[in-house]
Amino acid sequence: MNKAFWSNAKVAVLGGGSFGTVLSNVIAQNCAGVSLYVRAEDQARMMNSTRMNPNYVKDMVLDPKIRAVSEWEKLFEQSYELIVFAFPSHATRAQAKSIAPFLKGSEMILHATKGIEEKSLKRISVVLREELPVLRIGAISGPNLAGEMAKKEPAATVVASEFDEVIRAGEALMNGPGFRVYGSQDVIGVEWGGTLKNIFAIACGMLECLGYGWNTRSLLLSRALAEMVRFGVAMGAQAETFLGLSGMGDLIATCSSSQSRNFRVGYHLAKGESLAEVLAELGQVAEGVRTVKIVYEFARDRHVEMPITETVYRIIQGEITVNEAITYLMARTKVEDRWFD
Amino acid sequence: MQIDPRTGSHPGVRFDNHPAVQGELYQLSKPEARESLIQEVVERTAQDFKNADSRLLLEETLYQERQRLKRSKTFFLTSMYISARNKRDREFIQNTQAGLKQAVGEEEQKRWVKKYAEHFGKEICGSFEPKMYDFAIFMVPWFFSWLLNAASLKRFIPWGMVETLQSRLRVVGEVNHLQKLSKSGTILMVPTHLSNIDSFLIGYVIHLMNLPPFAYGAGLNLFSNPVLAFSMNRLGAYSVDRQKVSVLYKAALKNYSISILKRGIHSIFFPGGGRSRTGAVESHLKLGLLGTAVQAQIERLKENHPSPNIYVVPVVMSYHFVFEGSSLIEDYLEQSGKHRFVPNDSQEEFPFVNTLKFFWKLFSSRSEIWINVGKPLDVFGNFVDQEGRSLGPNGTVIDPRQWLMTEGELQTSAQRDREYTLILGNKISERFHAENIVLSSHLVAFTLFQTLRKQYPHLDLFRFLRISEAQRAVPLDKFYQEAEKAFAQVQEAAHQNRLILSDPLRCGDIKLWVEDGVRQLGLFHAHKVAKIQANVITSDDMNLLYFYRNRLSGYGFGRLERLENSKIDKIGEFFGEKDEQGFLV
Repeated sequence: MNKAFWSNAKVAVLGGGSFGTVLSNVIAQNCAGVSLYVRAEDQARMMNSTRMNPNYVKDMVLDPKIRAVSEWEKLFEQSYELIVFAFPSHATRAQAKSIAPFLKGSEMILHATKGIEEKSLKRISVVLREELPVLRIGAISGPNLAGEMAKKEPAATVVASEFDEVIRAGEALMNGPGFRVYGSQDVIGVEWGGTLKNIFAIACGMLECLGYGWNTRSLLLSRALAEMVRFGVAMGAQAETFLGLSGMGDLIATCSSSQSRNFRVGYHLAKGESLAEVLAELGQVAEGVRTVKIVYEFARDRHVEMPITETVYRIIQGEITVNEAITYLMARTKVEDRWFD
Repeated sequence: MQIDPRTGSHPGVRFDNHPAVQGELYQLSKPEARESLIQEVVERTAQDFKNADSRLLLEETLYQERQRLKRSKTFFLTSMYISARNKRDREFIQNTQAGLKQAVGEEEQKRWVKKYAEHFGKEICGSFEPKMYDFAIFMVPWFFSWLLNAASLKRFIPWGMVETLQSRLRVVGEVNHLQKLSKSGTILMVPTHLSNIDSFLIGYVIHLMNLPPFAYGAGLNLFSNPVLAFSMNRLGAYSVDRQKVSVLYKAALKNYSISILKRGIHSIFFPGGGRSRTGAVESHLKLGLLGTAVQAQIERLKENHPSPNIYVVPVVMSYHFVFEGSSLIEDYLEQSGKHRFVPNDSQEEFPFVNTLKFFWKLFSSRSEIWINVGKPLDVFGNFVDQEGRSLGPNGTVIDPRQWLMTEGELQTSAQRDREYTLILGNKISERFHAENIVLSSHLVAFTLFQTLRKQYPHLDLFRFLRISEAQRAVPLDKFYQEAEKAFAQVQEAAHQNRLILSDPLRCGDIKLWVEDGVRQLGLFHAHKVAKIQANVITSDDMNLLYFYRNRLSGYGFGRLERLENSKIDKIGEFFGEKDEQGFLV
């Protein structure tokens, strides 16, 4: 790894949401400059003048090397060595299409989106590969709650790519005193780990509402891990990946944080509200609600056993109640505690 | 595009919109050029093992070579060439073993590594003799023409001597594109491989397309006959010995391929590594030799060569009839089934006799061979346009140099290049399927096999292949129903550009293509692969039926039925639905 090369490199982070902003700050410490793309012009102007992004991350001052930009032409006046996508999953394809003409081909691409493309079930790195004239693509995923990262609490993430070079780039640009990067070549496992955990966050919210304690939650998390592994392996991932930061790590973080949208959806559903009511109250769509349907249908067709996912799906559909679901799950006959069976 | 079956003064009428050029292979007609090529291979190989433990490397190589020689069976006459090679190998091994005992110093051991690399290099290296080439391309059409007309009934009428090889070869696809690219870059042609005659056909088709001669990675089986070995060696073929498994040999072979591509010599090799045993379109490719394309590209870019690009051109050949079909499929079944497979007694004939028989039968039957020149790719698997530029998604043009930059420099990077090659391999396999021309006989075999398979779902494949004659009969009306369904599936796939239909299938009249298919399917095997008797259709040879049916495997047709109720569209697209998913079974 050539440290000097990366400390002189320029990086573009696309998407000025909470994670994009925090990530820019991490990267800016290791490179020559970060251009942070945000869609709204006022937001860009405000970020450049106040050095803050209060709508998404409170109390974090932007690194002086970061500049916010809101137009593609202006963003690509210079060329970049690394480009980070931090858009929500449904926006990724369209945004990738629009930047494709600006790329040279020598850039490396990372994305920090935890989700998959609806309908096609394509992972985000596959979507990017289909839209961008670049092959060196990787994913960032792990237990990285933006609020905690903004406070510089110690944390770590996984950079996954088929290309070692991309992992090395991620290490060179993100490793720092408060943040560690682990590399992985199992892109499928890392991306699906980040996606599947949202389903189980819903289930965790339900348990919270019922007032159950840690025995029950641990039961849920362990068996959820088994489901993630089964599904992941069917998708071509390696089982071990799910034991790591991007699997178990992310699952614990998301399922323990009551601020997660998926968690709140589960909580309210368990109270007896219908999905429509919950979503209206929330004002936004939770990623897990979309994921559970696609994953459930896919797993059913492929005969991948995912009982928790199935019950979450049925509860969301209003077919059964949470208590019925628990009765059903507890009465299942298969009792061997193998983490992938 | 189809070759015009005109007859001229010479039976080898060619695509005439493109003047023939000599091509870089002519370099190899000079002994000093060959010598420098071998030296380059030696230097590169030494460089590859710069940091290796030379002694260990040599010992491993010697061991593997000794093991190979123990296994190597040779028959009198058919393999004079191979026994001569083995004899040379034995002598060399003895010398090296003796030498290694004396060689204590690191330097001396490195010299032995070089010597071994040179030994392999000399063995691999082919030469090229323009006179031999001219002779071959002059004679081959006459020879075929004679054979063809002798085999055809028409020879009894005076104006009947009009059959030419081209009239049986249907060369379609991106011929003009290929011709153009052959001037602006170096071509690496990668054909599918079913039969020993592929090698002759493809060589001849290259000539028909007015392309200069190609260097040719040929398996040892092509050298089995002294006449063939003599001529192949002088037609630019280099030998690929798949029995030699040592890393040293593999490195020498790769370096040979890099060196010739780097010199701008157009090349061919079969990326599937040998003939497809299952009969399916190849989905697992050998990436070792394929990876030489990207290396050669990097070196040509580094040299600032005016036309640095290597273009990878997949070619798919479709046959109604594969001579070695029986032995190929039995080979596969024996390997995959082990004890579950009960072999029939079948003997493989001498390859040369086989080849003659094949053509004789081809000509006497009016059976056609389709050769589809696929869309050219760059070394990363992107499509290239007429000017040779790589096309990315969303109308972008890719500069290969940028894809080969690592940390700001144009350089090789082992892991990155392996990954690029893997992507190229996947793309080639995908293109093989997309460029596969489905013949009526393939669809008949597929329908019959699937219909029967559905009747005996509880049997495993190997028992299923041994069902009795009575069990094999399918009533014709039922067969037609299933054929409609199968036809709808392939038609759908053809619309999605996942495969190509041949003419009889394109017309869509089910009676017509079924009749055509049954007639052509494996026409000259000892047993009928499919036959219609009264009101039933049946097969006399289930193994062969399976073999021809497999041409349509890897598309998900067999699997779709199970997933008919699925709401998720395009399941196969990202799932790598290839053989390891238990598809063929």
